[in-house]
Amino acid sequence: TEWKGWNIHKAGYPNTVGMDKFAELVEQKSNGDFSIKMYHAGVLGNQPDAIEQVRIGGLEIGNFSLGPIGPIVKEANVLSLPFVFDDVAHMHKAMDGAVGDQINAAMEKKGLISLAWYDAGARSFYNSKKPITQPADITGMKVRVMNNDLYSGMVSALGGNPSPIAYAEVYQSLKTGVVDGAENGWPEYESMGHFEVAGYYSLSQHLIIPQCLCVNASAFRRLPEAQQQMLIEAAQESAQVQRNLWAQREAFSRDKVVKAGVKLNEISEKEPFQLAMQPVYDKYLGENPELKPLVMLIKNTK
Amino acid sequence: MGLVILMAVFVIGVIIGTPVAFALGIAAVSAFAYEGLPLLIAFQRITAGISVFSLMAIPFFIFAGELMFHGGIAMRLVRFASSAVGAVRGGLGVVNVMSSMLFGGISGSAVADISALGSILIPVMKKKGYDEDYAVNVTVTSSIAGIMIPPSHNMILYAVAAGGGISISQLFLAGVVPGVLMCVCLAITAYIVAVKRGYSAEKFPGFVVLFTHFVVALPGLLTAVIIVGGVLSGVFTVTESGAFGTIYALVVTVVVYRQLTWDKFKTAVVNSVKTTSMVMVLIACAAAFAYMLTYFQVPSKMIDFLSGISDNPIVIILLINLMLLLLGMVMDMAALILICTPIFLPVAQSLGIDPLQFGMILMMNLGLGLCTPPVGACLFVGCAVGKVPMESAVKSIWPFYIAILVALVLTTFIPQVSLALPMWLAG
Amino acid sequence: MFEQADALKRSRYDRFLDYLSQLSLLVAGIALVVLTLTFGWLVFGRYVLNSTPTWVEQLSLLLVVLIAFLGASVGIHKNTHLGVSFFYDRSPFWLQQLFQLISQLSLAIFGCVMMVNSYQLMLFKWGSDIPLLGVPEGIRAIPIMLCGGLVLLYSIGHLIHLFHRVKAALMR
Ligand code: NA
Ligand code: NA
Repeated sequence: TEWKGWNIHKAGYPNTVGMDKFAELVEQKSNGDFSIKMYHAGVLGNQPDAIEQVRIGGLEIGNFSLGPIGPIVKEANVLSLPFVFDDVAHMHKAMDGAVGDQINAAMEKKGLISLAWYDAGARSFYNSKKPITQPADITGMKVRVMNNDLYSGMVSALGGNPSPIAYAEVYQSLKTGVVDGAENGWPEYESMGHFEVAGYYSLSQHLIIPQCLCVNASAFRRLPEAQQQMLIEAAQESAQVQRNLWAQREAFSRDKVVKAGVKLNEISEKEPFQLAMQPVYDKYLGENPELKPLVMLIKNTK
Repeated sequence: MGLVILMAVFVIGVIIGTPVAFALGIAAVSAFAYEGLPLLIAFQRITAGISVFSLMAIPFFIFAGELMFHGGIAMRLVRFASSAVGAVRGGLGVVNVMSSMLFGGISGSAVADISALGSILIPVMKKKGYDEDYAVNVTVTSSIAGIMIPPSHNMILYAVAAGGGISISQLFLAGVVPGVLMCVCLAITAYIVAVKRGYSAEKFPGFVVLFTHFVVALPGLLTAVIIVGGVLSGVFTVTESGAFGTIYALVVTVVVYRQLTWDKFKTAVVNSVKTTSMVMVLIACAAAFAYMLTYFQVPSKMIDFLSGISDNPIVIILLINLMLLLLGMVMDMAALILICTPIFLPVAQSLGIDPLQFGMILMMNLGLGLCTPPVGACLFVGCAVGKVPMESAVKSIWPFYIAILVALVLTTFIPQVSLALPMWLAG
Repeated sequence: MFEQADALKRSRYDRFLDYLSQLSLLVAGIALVVLTLTFGWLVFGRYVLNSTPTWVEQLSLLLVVLIAFLGASVGIHKNTHLGVSFFYDRSPFWLQQLFQLISQLSLAIFGCVMMVNSYQLMLFKWGSDIPLLGVPEGIRAIPIMLCGGLVLLYSIGHLIHLFHRVKAALMR
């Protein structure tokens, strides 16, 4: 069997190394019967398109963020609710347990199965104006968000002006003031050079969105039980590699930008932010009441 | 085998005269089918190819150019340029080059430049005693400057084909010096040829007239300032600048020049739709084609192939130049940008060439291809507008080819030509 | 690019195609003007009202797809697409007819495949919404589906002309 895989990152990135590790393990464990050709750096299309390609079956594997899966799989969109997780440890606990299983079951109905959860850290706000310590600091700020109603709702609820701008244009937009700020994790903040033009990083950690190593559901179910198990094992092992590298990478990026003079601030009082999210939760759960138990399950995972 | 099918279907399609865009699409779909890939994905690629936000600027550039032409801005630009440099020997040749800098700088499309400026300038040049082949030669070759001088939708295509990692405003900046350099080379050539052929000069109309023409042309010139200035200063994104420039051009041509009638507006809209759709469908189908090229791992094979020929970077870059030139001679620019960028850019980068500089090299090569037989859209349109048989235009065009080649060689071997301005402004 | 003086009278089918292409141009032209105006509104919103209309980007992507594919189908009807006529122009009459036959047949098949697959793509995408716009993703595939159908109709028109031309040449 030969499968084809998609990954958006360049060589050397934790996810790229993780995906290559997965391919290597699969080849080893199957004694060369099963091989995977990885297409890195997003050469076969952007993330939403690649998700569609795996669902249709043009590709068999992809490393996706659960963010862009949200519009397709409602249950996955719960992970895009701001402050749904307290911290990364909480997210791991939930995803490796019942929450992850429920979301995976919902994804399978849309043609995707997650074999393992990869890390993408926590996203925080950064801007070129001032440190953010309370919601009022965001009021009136133009903040770049990803394309999802939940993210733009989040910024609006904080009194900011959400601007959906293409990822590649964020640097220029920050530099020239088309937007005042954006939000992302350490590695992106550092590697895209955003720290050069937006020098205040405030540890809001408002979004902790995991990633999946996803496969096409029917291609996976067609395999003999033993091979399915082999793939899951390889995926889990590769996730350990990716999670370790990710932690290293975060530390590296954080050190680098702090050395470069970025003003980093913790947010001691997160409650005002969480309270401000109430309208976002109300609107979302009002439209999707069936998701309330899942949100409760996450909140109650301790 | 799949790759052979992809290429063969495409080449046969082009030879029998199927529109290039559709030949790309048909070839891609054939290869998808042969490989057993779901056809749905071919059509996902075709839609996704133009669902790219940076591309939204293209209809605006085209629309702005059409409004400028039909609303009288282009004509006033020509008049201003003519009163400024008409007194030089062979001045109208130089005027032609300058007008291309001013107008092509906005429309960003070489073919639009020729059909707009050529239809104003070529008849004037003929009337003043210039040979028609000379008029066509200058018009055709100087239109390439419009590709280099920002804004340019071909630059956007390049940025998109490169995978979105290149900043469009940086690319625009990088194009300024090579574009002006090319204009200077062409102007000098236009002058030398004019002197050789003994063309006379216009009379200098005096500074009052020059100033009047400048003032009259100024509101129109501002369209370019708005579009380019908006992007470079960062006040607007590229797309917003295009849209704002278009709305501005509309206001100027209706309120200030009062030349844009309802009928002319409709013509401008219809022409814009036709040009936009031609370019966009090419991009769309090329995306499916490029997907299959990537699928067959052509880019990495190309790196292996070229590094197998020689390990001397100069030899490889000359080889790439030659390939681009030959491809440019037989195929159209937009399609080639989309196909060649993913193949050659990694090679160039492995040689340590900056993507901005490589973009300029690519544009110049393919631009030159637009002016050469057998397939050269600019040459075709220029000859059609000037009513000159292609054979006679081609016989006397070689000094202008040399001018472009000089600019190309300088851009290829001196990185600073492309990089100095963006680096300086990035501080 | 291959405009040949068709001495043949324009049939009812031709007039139907002319009407379709006029209608396509009208819709695409309106889309272009709307596109320009919405971006004017975006700039106004961001700089004057300090509230960016977040739907503009996503809407513009839809409009451009509409302009592109409607316009492209008209280009097939009127033979205005960029093509390479070098070999065609240097070929004898019968080879030209063969070229046209292959070319138009492959366009007709392509149009058909385009229509069917875009229809399926539309159904596949219908379940999820375009973020920030709140309309089904499937809408993206509609213009290309229309284009497929129109290309099929137009290439049939060209094939009919081809048939008459060949018949006339054989009679002579
Ligand atoms: Na230009
Ligand atoms: Na010119």
